[in-house]
Amino acid sequence: MKQMPTEARTSAEQGNRNLVLQMNKVSKVIKGKTIVDGLTFDIRPGEIVGLLGPNGAGKTTTIRMMTGLIRMSAGDVLINGHSVRSDFLQAISYVGAIIENPEFYPHLSGLDNLKQYIRMTDNISASRLDEVVQLVGLQDAMNKKVKAYSLGMRQRLGIAQALLHSPKLLILDEPTNGLDPAGIREMREYMRRIAEVEGISILISSHMLAEIEQICHRAVVIQNGKLVKVTSISAADESATGEVELSIRVDDVKQASGIVQSMQAAKLTGAEEARSEIYVTLPDLAVPELVAALSEARIGVYRIAEHKQSLEDEFLKWTGGNQIA
Amino acid sequence: MRKFSNLIVNEWVKLAKKRSFAVPFLIVIAVSVLLGYVAHLSGGTEFNSAAGFTTVMLLPTGVGQILAMLAMIGTAGIVAREHSQGTIKFLLIRSRSRTAILASKYATVLLYSLALLTTAILSLFIIGLLWFGAAGGNAGAGDIARSVLYVAVYALLYVTLTFMLSVLTSSTGVAIGASLFAVMLDKLIIQREFYKYMLFPNLDLSVYQGGEPPLPGMTQTFSVLVLAAYMILFILAAFTVFRRRDVA
Repeated sequence: MKQMPTEARTSAEQGNRNLVLQMNKVSKVIKGKTIVDGLTFDIRPGEIVGLLGPNGAGKTTTIRMMTGLIRMSAGDVLINGHSVRSDFLQAISYVGAIIENPEFYPHLSGLDNLKQYIRMTDNISASRLDEVVQLVGLQDAMNKKVKAYSLGMRQRLGIAQALLHSPKLLILDEPTNGLDPAGIREMREYMRRIAEVEGISILISSHMLAEIEQICHRAVVIQNGKLVKVTSISAADESATGEVELSIRVDDVKQASGIVQSMQAAKLTGAEEARSEIYVTLPDLAVPELVAALSEARIGVYRIAEHKQSLEDEFLKWTGGNQIA
Repeated sequence: MRKFSNLIVNEWVKLAKKRSFAVPFLIVIAVSVLLGYVAHLSGGTEFNSAAGFTTVMLLPTGVGQILAMLAMIGTAGIVAREHSQGTIKFLLIRSRSRTAILASKYATVLLYSLALLTTAILSLFIIGLLWFGAAGGNAGAGDIARSVLYVAVYALLYVTLTFMLSVLTSSTGVAIGASLFAVMLDKLIIQREFYKYMLFPNLDLSVYQGGEPPLPGMTQTFSVLVLAAYMILFILAAFTVFRRRDVA
């Protein structure tokens, strides 16, 4: 899935209302240096999409352009069919966002901070405040001043802030930055719950790949401001026609390797005597054939496991590897 | 309109919930008391009524200058602090235009200055009543009103200058420093033709009451026009920059 379907592509240029977010060849040039270069991708309703890239790839710049904090040098962003360039007030009304760290007025209480944003929103129902506070579990801290909040609490208040006006798209920039493992897990829980309860699309930027892998439907990988790959995370291993990579623990590595090599469909990608394992890449359909061949040769098979390449490995492959912070 | 007044409420809440909010008001009162006390000690012949005392002391040569400085300190942070705190991001990703947001901040600053001015008028008048009495003298409400007008113009220009610096530099410190430096220098008159087109010699409109213009060829109308031109310049610069700025 290197390119988007052509269908999505043509409709993107017309401003498709069925897409929550459309990035159309968005670029940013600062002092002759291209920070973001012709970025194009879409987000569909209800989708959780990861924006992935090494530090300095242009993730935050991209998000700042989406939210109108900085101007685009070229291209346009459409949110729910409204242009950020020409119809900003409409477009932004569908967006809730946390950009970098959630910064609040430290001398105001959590409640007073949220009230600030309620006063800046049209048609907000009276119960909405309680609803989002409940969702992020900050009921008991609402009257405390924000300067007494921990980073985790501020993140949660940030989410509450972003959800107040019931947006269609939630944008989170490095949401787990600076959180401890418990905080990261908690954050992930919130994101899952929000996607479920609120039924909205979420864009998460991150350089923490494990993060994206666990909760996103798709990942958009960028490097040096350019789109490297749009990958579907959950669908990748479902394709029955695709090849699988297996690791098989056997009692006789040499003999087993010979059998694999004699098969036409299978390819031996490695063998490790020390662990008594061989690594085989073959089409899904050929797996029973291999198993039969091994047992026919009376080779003891102890384990067969799918040798899944993690997103992290792939990420390193795509981006050249040495630039992750 | 309701949207805009809500924005002003927001700004006022941010300002008023600071612990130091009352301090400038207390300073204005303290200075009024001090001035009244000193005038009272010196024999009390200088002023013979509360109105006379208020009229003179309110001018930019008296409480007026301190009042302007306090208003400027309050103004300097209103835009710059949003940047230094990082709260500007949440502020600008709402369905409100940058023009409306900045206008609400400017309106709030004017309200704040007005509150300080009202405090100064009231405290001076009450102190005046205490030490110099209600009757006597030939100063009346009209004279006080004229003083109020002079100090209001003086403070308005300085507050607008500070507001512009707050937007342009995004730094509370620089905005306070630069504008207070200007206050210190504004009494300095350079005896050159070009200088009458500068901001400083035109700021205190009360000088025309005595007859002597700061520089030859200056009139009150001339000063009002120069001040109006500077006001437009400051406001235009602030709004243009704020609307176009990339918020990093």
